[in-house]
Amino acid sequence: MTRLKGYGGKVLRVDLTHRTYRAEELDPSLAKAFIGGRGLNAYRLYWEVPPGVDPLGPENKLMIATGPLVGFPHGLGSRLNVTSRSPLTGLLGDSNAGTHFSEEMKFAGYDQIIIEGRSERPVYLYITESGVEFMDAEGLWGFTVSQTHEAIRHELGDQRVQVGAVGPAAENLVKFAGVFFNVYRAAGRTGMGTVLASKNVKAIAVRGDGYIEAENVDELIKVIDEMLRRIYENPQYWPRRIMGTSRVLMAGQRLGFLPGRHFQDPVVDYAYDVSGERLAREYNVKVRACSAGCALPCARFFMIKRGPLAGLMGEGPEYEPLGGFTVRVGNRDLDRALKIILKVADYGMDAITTSEVIAWLMELRQRGEITDEEAGVKLEWGNPDTIEELVDMIAYRRGIGKVLAEGVKRASEMLNRGKDIAFHVKGLEMIQADPRALKGYGLGFAVASRGADHLRSEPFVEVEDDPELGKKMFGEPEAAMRLGVKGKGKLINYFEDLNAIVDSFESCKNTAENMLILDFDMAARAYTAITGIHVTESEMREAGMRIVNIERAYLVREGVRRSHDRLPKRFLEEPLRSGPAKGHVIELDVMLDEYYDVRGWTRDGVPRRSTLLRLGLKEVAMDLEARGIKLED
Amino acid sequence: MESKGIHVVVDPSKCVGCNICELWCSYEHEGVFSRSLSRISVITYERLGFDYPVVCQQCEPAPCVELCPTGALSKGKLGEVNLDKGKCIGCRVCSEVCPYGAARMEPREARYPLICDLCGGEPMCVARCPTNALSLSKVTNVKVKPRNAAEAFAISELRKLADEWGVDVDEA
Repeated sequence: MTRLKGYGGKVLRVDLTHRTYRAEELDPSLAKAFIGGRGLNAYRLYWEVPPGVDPLGPENKLMIATGPLVGFPHGLGSRLNVTSRSPLTGLLGDSNAGTHFSEEMKFAGYDQIIIEGRSERPVYLYITESGVEFMDAEGLWGFTVSQTHEAIRHELGDQRVQVGAVGPAAENLVKFAGVFFNVYRAAGRTGMGTVLASKNVKAIAVRGDGYIEAENVDELIKVIDEMLRRIYENPQYWPRRIMGTSRVLMAGQRLGFLPGRHFQDPVVDYAYDVSGERLAREYNVKVRACSAGCALPCARFFMIKRGPLAGLMGEGPEYEPLGGFTVRVGNRDLDRALKIILKVADYGMDAITTSEVIAWLMELRQRGEITDEEAGVKLEWGNPDTIEELVDMIAYRRGIGKVLAEGVKRASEMLNRGKDIAFHVKGLEMIQADPRALKGYGLGFAVASRGADHLRSEPFVEVEDDPELGKKMFGEPEAAMRLGVKGKGKLINYFEDLNAIVDSFESCKNTAENMLILDFDMAARAYTAITGIHVTESEMREAGMRIVNIERAYLVREGVRRSHDRLPKRFLEEPLRSGPAKGHVIELDVMLDEYYDVRGWTRDGVPRRSTLLRLGLKEVAMDLEARGIKLED
Repeated sequence: MESKGIHVVVDPSKCVGCNICELWCSYEHEGVFSRSLSRISVITYERLGFDYPVVCQQCEPAPCVELCPTGALSKGKLGEVNLDKGKCIGCRVCSEVCPYGAARMEPREARYPLICDLCGGEPMCVARCPTNALSLSKVTNVKVKPRNAAEAFAISELRKLADEWGVDVDEA
């Protein structure tokens, strides 16, 4: 097999139990079918992690993969996917981060790193072109994310070494701990850090001196220049560069989708005080790129310049932690929120899930179902001391933190309280957006393969509220209207396919998807130029569908059906109390029917045999049937 | 004022650490995309939000050229350092004497140093930098005369900034 141009060319398998490793050639046909990154990981997860595997046991595997665009100066950023069976949901776990790690691992020659087994002692892996060193991490155990980064770079004597580390939360088996790269960049969701820590791996360090080539470099440069032109011409260029995702907070206020006090207030009277606009004016000192090859740097470096927290500095925050530790928990104090956000990241926890379990506990208190004595803290909305204390308690599993560390679904089951306000889908907590005001997003949360998450679909066009656009793109005016219902199935289908491609190229969604820079046509042209394998626009879309379908097949094999594609009751039954979308609930079932029909799945959410065969997933269809799951034609 | 040639000037407050300069540099000189084969290298410290691209500053006189034992390095008419690969024996002297650490050895076999040659006057890193953190400037020399301690202090502070623009500030 010849090395496919543009790829590292190797898949690295690390066996922690036996302290061995081997580098396999990447099969080019696999690279064509699943592109890279998320697609490649989904393929491995389906075939190598069968049902019944304990997420925190040695049989579980953790995959890190990068994509074909990574390492080129394309302007779209470089990311990676971390995939495993999730200890939080028990289903598909997958998380994506923008980091220099992805570029470094590619220059070391690896497209995918598969971590198997369990080490007897704490280790960190040092990966280079010549292989893997199992480094002693006994002394690093207990370190926070930033301490781990510094210690490893110091020990290896190389500032360019890229590190993915877990913090104390993961060591304490908090179910939603992430893997943190470049100190601040989180593969936060679904507990991937917990899996790594359960294998006694504190960190992975990588350094690569290699290089990559493109098959047709002149054509690739043409494609790159066209993508750059589209980025620079986009009216969102400056707002995004100045505020990054933090600008979504004011958009949420304007459109009425904020998660104020655990989804009770879709608008709040202090939005500006905790907004990206205020951060830009009063806090941000510099713009940074989270990863290599980014032409629209939006990671802001901030510093608190006055008050008792003056001097506190760090990167971010993105909208999700910002919204989570301000409006979701009712907190008006931006300085304290920033401190808490940095703390959550340094402990190595998912900010979205952490904010949900805290907000959930506060609403339980509001309803009188728990007392301050039982919780061990003074539970009142927006009290920064309470929030910070709860963060500490969760990370170190103290007191009520022991319960919250299990995630909101299991916490509500353990206390046998507040199940109706445990806001998750398939065990993964909801993001900072109310689906009653963003119905396409709501459908996206319900069907996303990793649980309540917007990044699988991110149907940003519905925020445009432009019926003409909806008609043009999907033949349904309502498809591009956030409170519309018809056409949302088509909308989510399209953007799920597109995001599967963007995630598998390992490009940044802010540019590639949200600005429609890397559409199917552009992706096909880039892929063809890089690899020399001719791919058409429709084949590229098909690859996106293939990735979505193999992930669904994984879920179906685990027993997921339509009844799991649900949203919490509040969103289906309680109308929004204020804001521009006042009075709305989300009409999920109508949208689900349309979604399944367009997907080629049954109305119960199972892919049809014909759908799987058309996408070249014959073995998957046979596997499902062999396990007694009847597929309809 | 006298002009001594041109060099790549860095504005670290604009550098975002995207490595795009490195990737284009290695493509321009080696025909492949790589961080390690670049003549410019970005140093990053995340916890300070710090990114700084290190690149040859065209010293005059240049220690690397002066001390090269085989005459493989020479100064061109732009002030750039040119390498004659045929004469280079990979002795690493240039790499060791460079005051900026801007002359790394080629990493695979360490047979020759990677030193900026200004791409013939139109550096690829400058052309491709997405945030204008890199620019091209003439090296100039300005003489100023401080009249009191406050002015002397202000000028000595400014010198660091001026140095980044490629301007030498001398006290007369």
